Amino acid sequence: MSVSLECKKVKRTGFLPAFLGGGILAAAVPVINMAVRSEMYLDLPGNSIQILLDANWQMMTMLNVLLVVAGACLLYHTEYADNAMQKMKSLPIRESSIFLGKAVLTICMSLFVLAIEAGAVAFCTYHWFEIGNGFFSELCKYFGFSFLLMLPCVILSLLISEACKNMWVSLGIGVVCVFTATMLPTTNFALSLFPFAMPFQVFASTDVTQSMHYIDSAIAELAVLCLAQLAFVKARRLLE
Amino acid sequence: MNIIETRDLTKSYADFTAVSGINLHIPKGAVYGFLGPNGAGKSTTMKMFLGLTKPTSGSFTIDGKKYPDNRVQILKEIGSFIEAPAFYGNLSGEENLEIIRKILGLPKSSVAEALEIVGLTQYKKRLAKKYSLGMKQRLGLASALIGKPPILILDEPTNGLDPVGIHEIRTLIRSLPEKFDCTVLVSSHLLSEIERMADTIGILNHGHLLFEGTLDQLKLSAASQGYPTDNLEDTFLALIDADNGQRGAVR
Repeated sequence: MSVSLECKKVKRTGFLPAFLGGGILAAAVPVINMAVRSEMYLDLPGNSIQILLDANWQMMTMLNVLLVVAGACLLYHTEYADNAMQKMKSLPIRESSIFLGKAVLTICMSLFVLAIEAGAVAFCTYHWFEIGNGFFSELCKYFGFSFLLMLPCVILSLLISEACKNMWVSLGIGVVCVFTATMLPTTNFALSLFPFAMPFQVFASTDVTQSMHYIDSAIAELAVLCLAQLAFVKARRLLE
Repeated sequence: MNIIETRDLTKSYADFTAVSGINLHIPKGAVYGFLGPNGAGKSTTMKMFLGLTKPTSGSFTIDGKKYPDNRVQILKEIGSFIEAPAFYGNLSGEENLEIIRKILGLPKSSVAEALEIVGLTQYKKRLAKKYSLGMKQRLGLASALIGKPPILILDEPTNGLDPVGIHEIRTLIRSLPEKFDCTVLVSSHLLSEIERMADTIGILNHGHLLFEGTLDQLKLSAASQGYPTDNLEDTFLALIDADNGQRGAVR
């Protein structure tokens, strides 16, 4: 029920158009890159997905993460702008289920964005490379990995937005986190575990162990962030 | 029988006590007027009843249910309006109530009923952010009244309304216990307001409950203490002044 309520609440906020537009923009990155300088990539060794993601994933992820940050800010801005959150808190619904509803909605929209981007990668492969056997299962692996690594970023963005009643504060924190993440070296395992930096990782089919470490870390971060949300709700009620 | 009872209910912040050990007894089926100057602790007490803020000490029961063990059960029985109208500005009045209806699991007809009660039916499709202050106030009331809850907690519900609106809402609140078989806890800093609505009153000042009882009992009590009783406004002011004097508070 919480998810359907959250869908109703985002009406006229620009949340859905933002994700649609952002997804198309991020998906356009590999297409435009290939359209203007395909000769740089056509002779590279490795599979086409790896080549395309190595060339474009940084830019695409930055757009994805910014989209998640903006989406999270929008979701909580509707709650705080006209004090609707107070009304919600006085109804028989838990704050955590409101958070969960928003998280599921943002995760679904992130999945939608990744699906558009996967479509763009498939198009580029079809147009400039060759779609071989097992291409789509490989594509699912790459984007499934990216989706999993996106989850801690979604939850942390929502947590920041929930904590800050002023949307500009949460947006500012989110943007600073995104740009910090772009400056962290992706080759350093410990640093790349920062939730906003994690989505910049690309699934490495040659190094499954490393990819599994990232998946395990993402799951652990998810658990910690969910516990942090529960603790935050209790602490805020005590202080208010 | 009391539907709401508090026992030494206290809320303190770092260096300030908003509510200090109050013992309220709110009878079932009555309009209980909660009276006090700004900052007396009325809203804080109401927020504690709704679980919006946690009591520092003391306890309360609502319809026999104890907070915080039965928080969700308590909230199912309460319709509330605290401080200012709270709504989603991007949604219409009808859509706002639809969200509350879904959370409370009420029938679809309850939205139209609530809009009708507060006189917002013709504006139900308008976005809430485009409502006038009075209309926002009515929407807040509609969101409290939806589903006809057995307990209504209304914090200064006539703020921002014009004289006609004030009269309408006052008449509505007065009629609620009979119409919907509910108990109303309504706060105001205006005695004239409470005088016209309430059966029982509680006077709060600096977090302390100065008086609880009927208006007649207030007059008797005031007369016995040598306060003026011709005009209830004067009685109230005298009570507050005397209390401020005792506490050495600067007005």
